[in-house]
Amino acid sequence: MTTEMGQSVQQPASVKKKRRKKVSLDSRKARAGWMFILPFVLGFILIYLPMVIESIRFSFSDLTIESGSFNTTFVGFQNYRRAFLEDPKYAQILIKGLQKLAFDIPAIIIFSLFMAIMLNQKMMGRGVFRAIFFIPVILSTGIMESISSMDILSTYMEGGEGIDDGSGTSTATQLVSSMDLQRLFSNMKVGTEIVDYVTNAINNIYDIVNRSGVQMLIFLSGLQSISPAIYESCKIDGATAWETFWKITFPMITPMILVNAVYTVIDSFTSEKNTVMSYISGVYSQPDGRELSAAMSWIYFMIVIAIVGVVAAILSAFVFYQRKSE
Amino acid sequence: MNAQNTENKPVVKRESKNRIRVDFDRTPLKDRLKARFLNFYFLSRIVIWIFRFVLMVGISYIVLYPFLTKIAGSVMAPEDFVDVTVRLIPKHFTLDIYRAIASELGYWAAFRNTFILSLISAVFQTLICALIGYGFAKFKFKGRNLVFLLVILTMIIPHQTMRLSMYMEFRYFDILGLIRLFKGGGIQLFGHNIKNLGAVAEQVDEAGNVIREAKPGWLAPFFEKLDILRFAHKETAIQDGVTVKKTVWDDTLRLFKYQIERRGRMFDRYRVEVEFTQSGANLINTYVPMFLLSLGGLGFKNGLYIFLFRQFFRGIPDELEESAYIDGSGTFRTFVRIILPLSVPMLITVFLFSFCWQWTDEFYTNLFFPSDTVNMLVKLVGNIPASLKTDYAGQELYYSAIRNTCGLMIIFPLVIIYGFLQRFLVQGIEQSGLAN
Repeated sequence: MTTEMGQSVQQPASVKKKRRKKVSLDSRKARAGWMFILPFVLGFILIYLPMVIESIRFSFSDLTIESGSFNTTFVGFQNYRRAFLEDPKYAQILIKGLQKLAFDIPAIIIFSLFMAIMLNQKMMGRGVFRAIFFIPVILSTGIMESISSMDILSTYMEGGEGIDDGSGTSTATQLVSSMDLQRLFSNMKVGTEIVDYVTNAINNIYDIVNRSGVQMLIFLSGLQSISPAIYESCKIDGATAWETFWKITFPMITPMILVNAVYTVIDSFTSEKNTVMSYISGVYSQPDGRELSAAMSWIYFMIVIAIVGVVAAILSAFVFYQRKSE
Repeated sequence: MNAQNTENKPVVKRESKNRIRVDFDRTPLKDRLKARFLNFYFLSRIVIWIFRFVLMVGISYIVLYPFLTKIAGSVMAPEDFVDVTVRLIPKHFTLDIYRAIASELGYWAAFRNTFILSLISAVFQTLICALIGYGFAKFKFKGRNLVFLLVILTMIIPHQTMRLSMYMEFRYFDILGLIRLFKGGGIQLFGHNIKNLGAVAEQVDEAGNVIREAKPGWLAPFFEKLDILRFAHKETAIQDGVTVKKTVWDDTLRLFKYQIERRGRMFDRYRVEVEFTQSGANLINTYVPMFLLSLGGLGFKNGLYIFLFRQFFRGIPDELEESAYIDGSGTFRTFVRIILPLSVPMLITVFLFSFCWQWTDEFYTNLFFPSDTVNMLVKLVGNIPASLKTDYAGQELYYSAIRNTCGLMIIFPLVIIYGFLQRFLVQGIEQSGLAN
């Protein structure tokens, strides 16, 4: 009886509902999802996509700006040909930039992982160190980067300060002389390439610290999400810290390594400090260099995409995903 | 080694009414300390602790050192730069550089402009990216991965690539050709002007002679006359000692500086000026391009923010929303009332990023504000205040110090904000559970 009563009470509502087209929960949720990402979709279609298409069009054409409007004439691959064949520096800078990147990515990843592990441990003054380490993420970007890139003040300040061995090379940015390290490493019988790599990395430490802020944050969050229970069981089984790192922490953090590698590639490729970017930016401000700069940056973009793809493909082979028990 | 007192039973040494003192035969203090502190485990921990601490302090020094030199240089007088005995500590302490930059380069006007731009863009970017990230994290729909790939794509395309087209886009801004249409410029489709609507197309033979001339279609005159986008602004002029207020109709929405008098003092005011012509609206030198990009989740590094939010929202258990849905809350309401309050640290993190990065960003600022009349903070760098111009020996260093001081003054507000919000930064990221 009571159920019938309930139904009869509910009847008007259900009749009302019937008139509307029935939509399953899934498709309703799908629609809600589209609503949430609508700003991006609209922005992409209405603003971004036209810009991309325009940019490609500009790279294939000759541009004249008149008052109130602009005209383009199609010139084929002329701009691209100019970028590669007529511009003496472009290809050279491109290759150098790529070399530097190959050097930077591992250094940044290793450093940021190391620092994240450090900052994740309980230690005295952790909060203070964290606050200091993330200063560059917030402050040393954009304009500060370009100020410090042409800064002669800090080198001057370092010049006569502290321990000066008279050779004039003791600067804060050059912490170790490569001679010392080479001596150290030659005793350990490792190749000179590695020695050079390490000395370079240490001497560029300021640059690396500056650029690994976001990566450090991402690693930190990755480390935080590893369940403490796993570490506990390892400890009970008698694993050392070294073993725990290689058997637990490292595999669990591999997805973050992938994310960070891709992010580092993108970030260092698109930053204003990048030599290729600043060269293209210089070309842009030349008279009639606008189309040329568009062509150059499209070449550059293709290379970026290729490298991101290669890095992602290589690393994703090693990524370990923890299967969640359903 | 010292635990040989197993046979010895504890000795009751003293007994009072309600207290006894039991003395075990303990090993001597010296041995106990030895056992405690002179083992390998303890020593290695001490060594690691010291190593770690020194390393941390060292890297902190590397991070802070450039700021120290900047601060030191900023309070030095020009004499100090030629004095070889002066390095980090100034002999002639002075705040001249700060004063000159603040008064001569129009620091405060630039500060206000930058503040408006950064604050509003950052708020837009934070909220919009949260919205988009939530959509990617919690809803399954066809094409989700494809759209997310597009988000990554916007991150990968170097903005140098888009520089020219971005300038053109906002110099001749026109969404879907609407402005063009309303200004009587006809309809534009895929970059082609099809003003001659209904017209007979031009026909040309092999030799290039026109066989049939293109005639304007019947709709063309209509579009020629269609001109609805007109704006009015009020102007006050003094004619023959009489204040005349009139409404002026024109094609522009202006950002220009004008002065008003209030309480006997003159104040600067700004107004947005947007020029609407047949080829689109001129949005250069206004805040509009940055706001539009922010609203579309296309601003500076917005791809990263969307990614961070997506990972963060994935970590929030679905049960939370499901219970809200069962209680009859809609998706958007659930997002605003339940999810957003949970994600305050993450929101603050992204806000901090977007505000600070927008504040110091050069690319968009220089691109959208090429004019000298709109002063932004990043454009101050490189200008030397007239009163500080010198000719003598330390000139280069002094100018470098001025540049650095300018940088310091730019980031000064950010330092304060960072001081307040930095604890949310790590907290927000830690909660994000990116590995899920």
